Formats: sequence, C-alpha cells, structure tokens
Amino acid sequence: MFEDYIYLDNASMTRLDERVFEKMKPYFFDIYAIPTSESGYSMGVEAKETLEKSRENIAQFLGAEASEFIFTSGFNESSNMALKGVVEALKRKGSHIILSKIEDYSVLNTAKALEKEGCQVTYLEVDPWGQVDPEVLKDSITSKTILVSIQHANQEIGTIQNIKAIGELCQEKEVIFHTDATHSFTRIPLDVKKIPVDLVTLSAHNIHGPSGIGGLYIRKGTPLKKWMDGGFQEFNRRAGLENIPGAVGFAKAVDLVTVEENQTLKKMRDHLIDRILSEVPQSILNGHKTNRTPQNVNITFEFVEGESITLHLDIRGFAVSTGSACFSRSLDPSHVILGIGGDHERAHGSVRFTFSRFTTMDDVNRAADAVATVVENLRKISPLG
Amino acid sequence: MSEQKIDVTGETCPVPLVEARKALKKASPGDVIEITGSHPASKKEIPMAVEALGLELVDVKEKDGVWTITIRK
Repeated sequence: MFEDYIYLDNASMTRLDERVFEKMKPYFFDIYAIPTSESGYSMGVEAKETLEKSRENIAQFLGAEASEFIFTSGFNESSNMALKGVVEALKRKGSHIILSKIEDYSVLNTAKALEKEGCQVTYLEVDPWGQVDPEVLKDSITSKTILVSIQHANQEIGTIQNIKAIGELCQEKEVIFHTDATHSFTRIPLDVKKIPVDLVTLSAHNIHGPSGIGGLYIRKGTPLKKWMDGGFQEFNRRAGLENIPGAVGFAKAVDLVTVEENQTLKKMRDHLIDRILSEVPQSILNGHKTNRTPQNVNITFEFVEGESITLHLDIRGFAVSTGSACFSRSLDPSHVILGIGGDHERAHGSVRFTFSRFTTMDDVNRAADAVATVVENLRKISPLG
Repeated sequence: MSEQKIDVTGETCPVPLVEARKALKKASPGDVIEITGSHPASKKEIPMAVEALGLELVDVKEKDGVWTITIRK
C-alpha cells in the first residue's frame, strides 16, 4: 500500500532499521527471561548482561558512566521523570523552574502540571530563530530556582540551543539543568564530559530504533526522587520490567548512526530549503538557517493552510506534517511558530519535512516538485490570498 | 460496483477533502462516490485531488451554494 510513498515525517517516527530488528529478535524468542543476578538462572543472567552492555554502549556514546544512564519507555517518561523528580527532591530549597516557550509537550505540559501543584514556572522568550539567550536566562534565575529545562534542539523547527553556555550558567548558579535531546541525539554531538548538563532525555524512535524505549542520563549526585513505585529496577530509579529487546535495539540504533549519514542529511536539508525558497514565492524558513538539526526543514507557505498542503501532498504520495494541530480539529496553531514571533497565519501555514537514513536526494527533489505544484494550486483557490 | 454518498454540507476545510479521501480509500475500482457540500474552496480542492490521484471526475454540479461532486474510482 505504501510502496511508493515518500515518508518525510521522521521527527515523529522513523522506520525500524532491519539491522536493529535482527539484533532484537533473539530477545523475543530465545532469551526472553527477566534480568537476574549472577546467582540466578542462566537465561536471566544472559538477559542482565545484555541489558548492561546496551546501557554501557549508549552511556559511552554520551561520554557518561553506565551507572548514569537508565532506560525508560521513551522521551515523554524521561522528561516527566526529570522534571517531577527534581521538583520533589528539592522542594525544600525552592519551587521555581525555567523552560523555554517552545519546548515539546513532554516538558511543557509537565511544567504546567507542576505549576498547578504550586511550582512557579518561567517560560523564556526565544529570538526569531528560536534561540534562548543565556543572558535572559541569567536574569530569570532567582534564589528559589531549582531547575532549568531547555531542549537541545526543537521538535518542529530544528533550532539548536547553546546548551554549553546554558549548562555553564546553571552550574555557576547551582541550578539543575535538564535538556531534552530527543531530536538531536546522535545527529548533533553531545558529550556530558564537555557540557555541564545534569539530566538528558533521549529516545530511540527517531533514529531507526524501536518505539517504546528511551532513556534518561542522570549525572552522578543529581537529586532526583523516584516517581514510579513498584520494583527496584534501573538502579532503583524506575519500577517496571526491563524492556530487553528495546534496550538492545536502542543501543544498535545508536551504533548505526555515522558522521557521513549526518552530512548526507544536512546536504538534503539545505537542498530542499534552497529549492523551496527559490521556487515557491512567499515561503518563509522557520528556524535558524544553519544552526538547526541536519534532518529538519520547516517552511511557512503564505496564504495556504498547512493542513491543506499536508493532505494534498499525502494524496500525491508524500508524508509531511504541519506544526498546527488542525488534524485533531482543535485548530490550535503551533506554539513554536507563535513562540518565534509568528502570527496565527504563519503558524497555520507551517509544514515540517524531516529526513532519515532512508531518504534519498531523489525523494527530496520529488518532494520539492510536488510542494511547488500543490502550493501553487492551493493559492489559486485560497480565501487567504 | 457500488455508490457511496457523503454529505459534508456546512463543514469547512479540511473536512470535505478528509471525508472524500476516507471514502475513496474504502471504495473499490469502478465504484462511484458522490460528495455534497457547501464550502466553496472544497468544490475546487476535491477535483484537484481527483486529478492528482488519476481518478475520473464524473460531474460537478452546484445549486443555491450547495455543490455535488461525483467521482469514479
């Protein structure tokens, strides 16, 4: 059904790499026991060794110790755990947290939930490209601030934050720093030995790993209250049976990403940006031109609704997404485009194209051709024009 | 061969096209789909989609602001 379909919504979900699946397979059918201690039965011992090896590989990629990385069910859980865990652990010190206005919902809505429970939350403004100014952050930190959560890269517009400067500032002010690296992990270097970050949210789903597995880096000594009761898994930080196939798949997915692959993604990104901006009049690039993830393109087409473009591209065999939530029929504009100073029309007209290992330059060219035709056709009938 | 009738009168973009796409997905080759609506842009947008899909636009009628588009899959 989707043989000729060109999928350009890889920020939402990527196709599993066959090599990842092959690596996972034995842990569904042959080694399916729960991890046990060395004195337990052999299959459990094997499962435990596999889990720890997977943990070690991912931690190593981050420049961390294996004991500083735990597996979770994905980025949403990781960010919930980070924000709620720190707030609970440091409630005697203060209850002020700071985040950017353009965080993903996993951080934004966690902060809103904490706000209802009495936390004070500062939502930092960003510049027109989506960047947080560390000086503005500095002015927002008070004696009651316990946590700063600023994403590494944005989910919609791909803009990369200066997390080194932000981390150094937090370190100086003795404030815990969490970053959501869901959309940058393996695509943009992040070494926790060089960047003073305390908590990092990760996920496997957008690097050709399985869905339902993610992780949280927790720097040694970071105050974090356990927020899920039950067993004592993951260094007693997370209750629940370990997802061994998921952990194996996540580690393999990390292992498969190469510098060359990221360079190819960047070439395709710049090619699509150049083609659309030069061939489609009144199109605006959202996010920073160069300081963005290599797989992300986000463009607003004036006088056309993003969801109309998405639908017409789907009919022509292309999957892209719109920042606005119109498909849910809530008609909410993208909070990211509004956050970078766009008006409602710009927010409703934004379309996101995100690439993966399986995207080719031919796909990108075909998408550029289709976008030009669809936008031209829709503008002829647009009531906004 | 069967005939499907969809009424999206009063609905605006993107609902008429979403409903048309849903009906086309369910239909078998040769089936006829008749969509009735009132949103002016959809009257132009649905034929555009029909052309892109390589399907047959059988008829487009309009009376008192209500249009009916007939498509054969």
